[in-house]
Amino acid sequence: MLSNILETAFNLIFTLNEDLIEIISLSLKVTMSALVISVIISIPFGAFLVLYRNKLQSIVILISNTLMGMPPVVLGLIIYTLVSKRGIFGFLDILYTPSAMIVAQTLLITPIVVSLTYEEIYKKYKDYYLFLNSLNLSNFSKLKTLIYECRYALITVTLTGFGRASAEVGAVMIVGGNINHFTRVMTTAIAFETSKGSIELAVALGLILILISFIITLIIKSLRKIK
Amino acid sequence: MKILPIKIENFSYTVKDNEILKNINIFSEEKKITIIAGNNGSGKTTLLKFMHGLIDDPSNSITWGRNHTSEIKEKQSMVFQNPILLNRTTFENILYVAKKKRVNERNSVNKIIEKLNIESISKTDARYLSGGEKQKVAIAMSIIGNPKIIFLDEPTSQLDPVYKNEIESIISDLSKDDTKIFMTSHDISQIKRIGEEIIFLDKGEIIFSGRVKEFLNKKTNDVIKNYINYG
Repeated sequence: MLSNILETAFNLIFTLNEDLIEIISLSLKVTMSALVISVIISIPFGAFLVLYRNKLQSIVILISNTLMGMPPVVLGLIIYTLVSKRGIFGFLDILYTPSAMIVAQTLLITPIVVSLTYEEIYKKYKDYYLFLNSLNLSNFSKLKTLIYECRYALITVTLTGFGRASAEVGAVMIVGGNINHFTRVMTTAIAFETSKGSIELAVALGLILILISFIITLIIKSLRKIK
Repeated sequence: MKILPIKIENFSYTVKDNEILKNINIFSEEKKITIIAGNNGSGKTTLLKFMHGLIDDPSNSITWGRNHTSEIKEKQSMVFQNPILLNRTTFENILYVAKKKRVNERNSVNKIIEKLNIESISKTDARYLSGGEKQKVAIAMSIIGNPKIIFLDEPTSQLDPVYKNEIESIISDLSKDDTKIFMTSHDISQIKRIGEEIIFLDKGEIIFSGRVKEFLNKKTNDVIKNYINYG
């Protein structure tokens, strides 16, 4: 039975099954959008927290670290209440759309990217503190230098965020609704197809997810070598 | 802009009830190599950092000519005991400082690389340089933009005699080029070779300030006597 499932799954992949491609495309679109938004916010913000060390910074890092461990379904639920018709952002009318999924994934990975960015930049700043201050640089100039010097580490951080977002199921299921041909992504499709017993497509998507995870791990490993 | 004489008046520095520097008074008006010496923990590096502006001076107890440290920050640079280089090539490291100091970038960088004889490592990533090479690059970075004052924190403490000799001659040349040098050192033979003025610290206090020749003949103070004999 397993061999039959695998055969069908590989067949779906190699024949570029339309449903499969559609689900993968949407998954990548949602995850990449969330990742880009998150990285644009989180990397400068994480670096900013290193340079402007005060009480507020400790609180932000504490909140960020706490949010890192937040169960995605809880986050999904919070976003659901905010963007549903009666929610304060109900006027946006984004519930059960890819936009809501992007919001969920962005909020899910932003604390992770902020915390990891902060850690990487903080380590580097300790090494360069005297040098950068000796040059009498502005904080903006220091920020640019630190981000550039941490570039490989920050790519790893970004990929970690990508891995976390692409593997997420709870939040996107709640705010996206797993609507066929509209908000169905790899993880929600796997859950759905498995529950209805159509395991071949689920296995094919699972294989793709494993492949993505493998590629990310490979890139992270080689970047660590460069670092 | 005149940066001499340098005057420090009654400066003390305390960290968590621990007085690192006590009632420091310095007056120096000549463009010579001034050595800041003393045993471990005597406050040499702290004094250097303070003079360079890495430690705040809220009481403005230091003046350079008629200026405060913040006003002449662009005219000074510092080389640290453990050279701090960016993860870039030698050329890019020097170029980085050139850009930050807004000097004629590539031209100046090439001139300094030639002057310090580091052409062979100009394309080498800083991570792969030896200790001596790193220190030379750090000095190259410090002299870009022709600073009027250079602070060197034990620049040769971890180097073999060949590199030590090379770095010393670079420092002597810089001094001849109209640059005021402040340098911390443990090494009494080095102080004899290149030092002209010396400020000697003991437990955060200056116990001698004057010519190196006078210092070497000062046999009345036990701390200095031991330092000269065993240094």
